[in-house]
Amino acid sequence: MSMPQEIDFEVDADDLSFATLNKELGTPSLVVDDLYITYKVWGGKKVGTGSAKQRRVRRALDRSREHVGAITSVEAVRGISFVARHGESIGIVGVNGSGKSTLLRAIAGLHPPTAGSVFVSGEPSLLGVNAVLMGSLTGERNIMIGGLALGLTPTQVRERFDEIVDYSGIGDAIYMPMDAYSSGMGARLRFAISSAAVPDVLMIDEALATGDAAFRNKSKERIDEIRNNAGTVFLVSHSLATVEAMCTRTLWIHQGKLVMDGPSHDVCEAYRAFVRASDKR
Amino acid sequence: MSAPAQSSGLTARDGAGLQAVPDGIDVPQHPLVVPTAGAVPEPLGPLLAPDAMREIAEASGLRQMGVRPPLREYIRSVWARRAFIRELGSAKAYARNQGSYLGQAWAVLNPLLNAIVYVIIFGLLVHTTRGTANGIAFIVVGTFIYRFFDASVSAGGRSIKGNLSLVRSVHFPRAALPVSSVVTEAATLAPALAVMCVVAWLSGFMPGYAPVPITWRLLFLPVAIVLMWMFNTGMAFITARWVAVTPDIENVIPFVLRFVMYGSGVLFSISHFVTHPGISHVLQYQPVAVYLYLCRSTVLNEPSIPIDAPSMWIAGVVWALLFLVGGFLYFWRSEQRYGRD
Repeated sequence: MSMPQEIDFEVDADDLSFATLNKELGTPSLVVDDLYITYKVWGGKKVGTGSAKQRRVRRALDRSREHVGAITSVEAVRGISFVARHGESIGIVGVNGSGKSTLLRAIAGLHPPTAGSVFVSGEPSLLGVNAVLMGSLTGERNIMIGGLALGLTPTQVRERFDEIVDYSGIGDAIYMPMDAYSSGMGARLRFAISSAAVPDVLMIDEALATGDAAFRNKSKERIDEIRNNAGTVFLVSHSLATVEAMCTRTLWIHQGKLVMDGPSHDVCEAYRAFVRASDKR
Repeated sequence: MSAPAQSSGLTARDGAGLQAVPDGIDVPQHPLVVPTAGAVPEPLGPLLAPDAMREIAEASGLRQMGVRPPLREYIRSVWARRAFIRELGSAKAYARNQGSYLGQAWAVLNPLLNAIVYVIIFGLLVHTTRGTANGIAFIVVGTFIYRFFDASVSAGGRSIKGNLSLVRSVHFPRAALPVSSVVTEAATLAPALAVMCVVAWLSGFMPGYAPVPITWRLLFLPVAIVLMWMFNTGMAFITARWVAVTPDIENVIPFVLRFVMYGSGVLFSISHFVTHPGISHVLQYQPVAVYLYLCRSTVLNEPSIPIDAPSMWIAGVVWALLFLVGGFLYFWRSEQRYGRD
């Protein structure tokens, strides 16, 4: 296993000094039952550094097999079950490659389960780091395309256009192609688009990492708003301070399995202890 | 590293086991097991039996993800995204001509240059168009219309892979992608059609080429294009599924397309060159050749390509419906598989 290296460098807890929303939880909004996800990776085979004693023909055959049909299957999620409820905000922590993003993609319906099942309320919306909509198009057209893809009507998108631009706070850059945006500007706009439709389930995959402090405060407000509208928010972040400040409950995923599920404070404490212990090793 | 020490709004603080919510659904929860400092806790297994979990989900009105939606619902959700399809298709057509000084002028210049190449090579240098009254117009119409088919099939094949960032970030019926990729090609075709008609008309003034007058028949060109559009969309569905499931097929498509091009009489008249009656019939009634015939019959003034050929129009309608419906069903049957890595 690779050495986990996760340091909280993004947020001071002081930046996020707002009180976490205190509200009653509603009915289940998401049921994940014994979920397994295996996917294919193309071109991922070990390059043979095998022993020199092997016969030349054999080696040539092995060598060719590395380049033709090089497919590996990866078990990213291995038996995860949990139930999330309306009004909950849930953080997901775990080392790199533990299956956090894959889990979110399966919840969003972007990755079909190999076994087990996912049940969800409404149209879930996933906000990831690399979710550039159309790089060659202007922010303006991306708002239209993104909004329509989320299921809004053209009139609804036009009504919310100013609000989205205001919220993203990127000003006249909205008329420039998204390729020209900085990663922070892109993240702002994507967040503004994704949350414009007020989804029942919003999943945020490290997308807040590139934003500045002001943007994170805004995101926090929007997340609370979604929870107030009885939505559920998932947040994957390597910043434990962000998770603790924004989420009431946290899941710790380790090697594709759920190992801890409970109040953010308890889970983050245990996870932090684990990270410290493995750093020392 | 200080952390805000509040356990906040979670009412289920002590909650191992089941917990009742207002609607009377018991929500299962994992017990909170605090591990010894620095250790990874034991993995948490399934909460309840699959049937019990499904029951909870159904009682809360949840929908299962990652399974193929029923056909009727799927058609409805594609139809609901028609504005999205149009917007995405036209935005892509626009983006195609970005990044050059002349910008959108290339939408017209590109087909014009294309036409000039064919006029010089096939009209003036090589005479492949025996049996036609105006070879230049014949080839120009053929290549422009064939390009619509060719581009639609290739774009359909790329429609899932090429929009992966969109596929990975938003959940929508994937059938919107092949449809919008053909919309992009149709948007590119519109200015090309104007160039095509003008070039065909001008070629009539060249010595040795029969005139191509503008007649009422031109009114049927949009009808022929719409039929071909339907057929192309069906083809795009089919190639989209093939390439999404087996990426290797994308490498084969160009060769197949080249083969179809020679088998469709783009550069020559099938009835004139292919003498075997059986083969000639098959070649003439295959879909691409049918649409080439229909478009030519509306634009050109060829005695060998009359517009009042009911069998050709019927074939055009049948192929369009067959491929559109069949392609859609074929694409839908694999809906849950698109967007995997």
